[in-house]
Amino acid sequence: MSKASLEATVDPEKVHGWITQIGSDSSAAVPLLQAIQSEYGYLPRKAMNLVLENTEINASQLFGVATFYAQFRLDPVGRHLIKVCHGTACHVQGADRLNTSLRHALGIVDEKEDTASNGSYTIENVACIGCCSLAPVMLIDGEAFPNLKGADAQKHLVKHAKTKGEILPGHAGEGDDQPADEKEK
Amino acid sequence: MSGDMVITVGEGTCGVAAGAPEITKLLKERFPQAQFKQVGCIGMCHLEVMVEISTGGKSYLWGGLNKKNLPKVVRFHRGQGDLPESMLIRSTDQQQTERSDYLTKQTRIALRNVGQLNPISMDQFRARGGYSAIEKVIKGGMTPEQVIEEVKISSIRGRGGAGFPTATKWTFARGAPGEPKYLVCNGDEGDPGAFMDRSLLEGDPHSVVEGMLIAAYAIGASKGYAYIRAEYPLALKHFAIALDDARKAGFLGYKILGSNFSFDIKIKEGAGAFVCGEETALLASIEGQRGMPRIRPPFPAIQGVFGKPTIINNVETLANIPWILLNGGAAYAKIGTEKSRGTKVFALAGAIKRGGLVEVPMGMSIRQLLMEIGGGSASGRPLKAVQLGGPSGGCIPESMFDTIIDYDAINATGAIMGSGGMVVTDTKSCMVDLARFFLEFTQIESCGKCTFCRIGTLRMKELLTKICEGHGTLEDIDTLAELADRIKDASLCGLGQTAPNPVLTTLKYFRDEYIAHVTDKRCPGGVCKGLITHTIMQDKCTGCSICDRYCPVNAITGELKKPNTWVIDKKICINCGMCVEVCNPDAILAA
Repeated sequence: MSKASLEATVDPEKVHGWITQIGSDSSAAVPLLQAIQSEYGYLPRKAMNLVLENTEINASQLFGVATFYAQFRLDPVGRHLIKVCHGTACHVQGADRLNTSLRHALGIVDEKEDTASNGSYTIENVACIGCCSLAPVMLIDGEAFPNLKGADAQKHLVKHAKTKGEILPGHAGEGDDQPADEKEK
Repeated sequence: MSGDMVITVGEGTCGVAAGAPEITKLLKERFPQAQFKQVGCIGMCHLEVMVEISTGGKSYLWGGLNKKNLPKVVRFHRGQGDLPESMLIRSTDQQQTERSDYLTKQTRIALRNVGQLNPISMDQFRARGGYSAIEKVIKGGMTPEQVIEEVKISSIRGRGGAGFPTATKWTFARGAPGEPKYLVCNGDEGDPGAFMDRSLLEGDPHSVVEGMLIAAYAIGASKGYAYIRAEYPLALKHFAIALDDARKAGFLGYKILGSNFSFDIKIKEGAGAFVCGEETALLASIEGQRGMPRIRPPFPAIQGVFGKPTIINNVETLANIPWILLNGGAAYAKIGTEKSRGTKVFALAGAIKRGGLVEVPMGMSIRQLLMEIGGGSASGRPLKAVQLGGPSGGCIPESMFDTIIDYDAINATGAIMGSGGMVVTDTKSCMVDLARFFLEFTQIESCGKCTFCRIGTLRMKELLTKICEGHGTLEDIDTLAELADRIKDASLCGLGQTAPNPVLTTLKYFRDEYIAHVTDKRCPGGVCKGLITHTIMQDKCTGCSICDRYCPVNAITGELKKPNTWVIDKKICINCGMCVEVCNPDAILAA
């Protein structure tokens, strides 16, 4: 499996369905994009074109909105999404190290790249998710892991990859180790 | 044995993240006959997972539960073990423990229901007096003017950050011509480090709905929007359920409670833009546009969403409103200081022992809040400063912790009350790095409309990065101060006007740290990567090789199990600190 296979196949019926449900005037731009992204994980060009053809929204507004808000992305995501919180509390407690160790395990070297070469995981930095007292925090496919150190993040990733049958293209420190916060229990 | 047992689990976002679902599952296996309830977050995030177990007429509130210590609690409730003191927050027999101080020293008005009820139960909300304020208003025949008068007496100011008197805002919109009028609840809590709106929306959504109802009645609005961040999935879910239930119960919709007042609320999911905390940007976002602010006047109260009169109130402000109507504005005004009445919710995080949400009366000193409620430093190292108000705010140094919580007193320090995020730092933090972090945040979040905000914040970020990397000069510090003034003057909205605050306050109170970075090429907090090096202390190294395995750049070499052979190649090392973190004998020195 490679990254090329991550491109989504857009079902025009679905896009038409959202337009009927949400509306086709200009105030529908944000919710329509949200609907597309929650289905495909990103905004496939084909889905955006369908919106342009079937609503009052013009291209400058739609792409303007899609590139303005942090939530939207124009590139496909990996099969699993890791969100690393970079709120203030997470920052002062070393959230950067989570990225370092996750990228190491996923073999992502290029600074501009956020997805592993085999399309398994994408790392996304997010603004505060509001669990500041449990900092630093990350989410893998929506499941939260609190009070992490860099090494813990990697261990949770290794464990997750094992259960999902994913291969990590990079180098993980100790694959068979229990995460520190579970070890003590 | 467990037949009369009621087990209540805190399942807010924090609780879930800390493992509440797993604890619930284990407890259900151990006590299959018990009745299970879920509540929102009580705000003691440092003691998640929290569970209250009531049995035989007594109740016990346990905190800090995990898979390992849970069996002790289970054994105690089976009558097979002693009371595990270290996990008890309070019980029927023992109301006061060191841990319960966190709750007893607070005055909870906005948070009155959070953690006390199941957020999505209309019955439990009604049982705690919910929707009786709107009943009092409508059935009691209060006029909108009387409602505004009551809020005016309370002297409550907008809790979102700017602190504008709520009643004054409402009066503008009440008198503005144009139909329909809109009421917007601003739940786009973008300040990294603040989470009171999340907690309210997910832990007590009905109180926010009721606050919106009263506000809408007062200004004559028939349409409402709740603008809630997409990053808060649980808040969105609970608020949507609350809206449905409120409609079914006749509190929302056409001719509410048999009156001529009609009002309904739509949820708008925020798509992630800090600038949307700014009123006019938020309105643009609701209209489906890029969230860019515009010039005021016209103010939203006169010309807001879709060109109609619009009032935007913050979540915390709205949650206070029903209480004010039920208990009277005078009761609320009795709390606090001359110019800042009532209570304020703060989100405590960072280097503090007991982090979480706290609601305290205005007038309490910052020191009292941090020490008596927050329990002081988590690490034992002395506290250095507290960052108040997030990226728009500033830091207050330890020497000024006796400043009281009051809009004017805090403004005088150069910081702002803001939405109430309080991130505490100790001596092992770098104030220059913190300022750089905030500038990086505001630079990314600047909408780009005003040149000084768009380019000025970028230049400030570059200068701060230069200083953090050890290449800064003394002139750079002066340039930072100059840029800060220009950006403040030449920006249209609050984002740009306040963006330089973190730099200005750190320059004011921690100039010596800037100087140390520039002239001594030293980071006193040991944080800035360009100014520290990592060295293996040979006398402590065991040669286990774990550092090598975690090093992302292969900078560490040596022979397995042979101490004295391991070295870090400083040319390759990126000073990420992974080795320090994993080294068991603490053999790696970062300085």
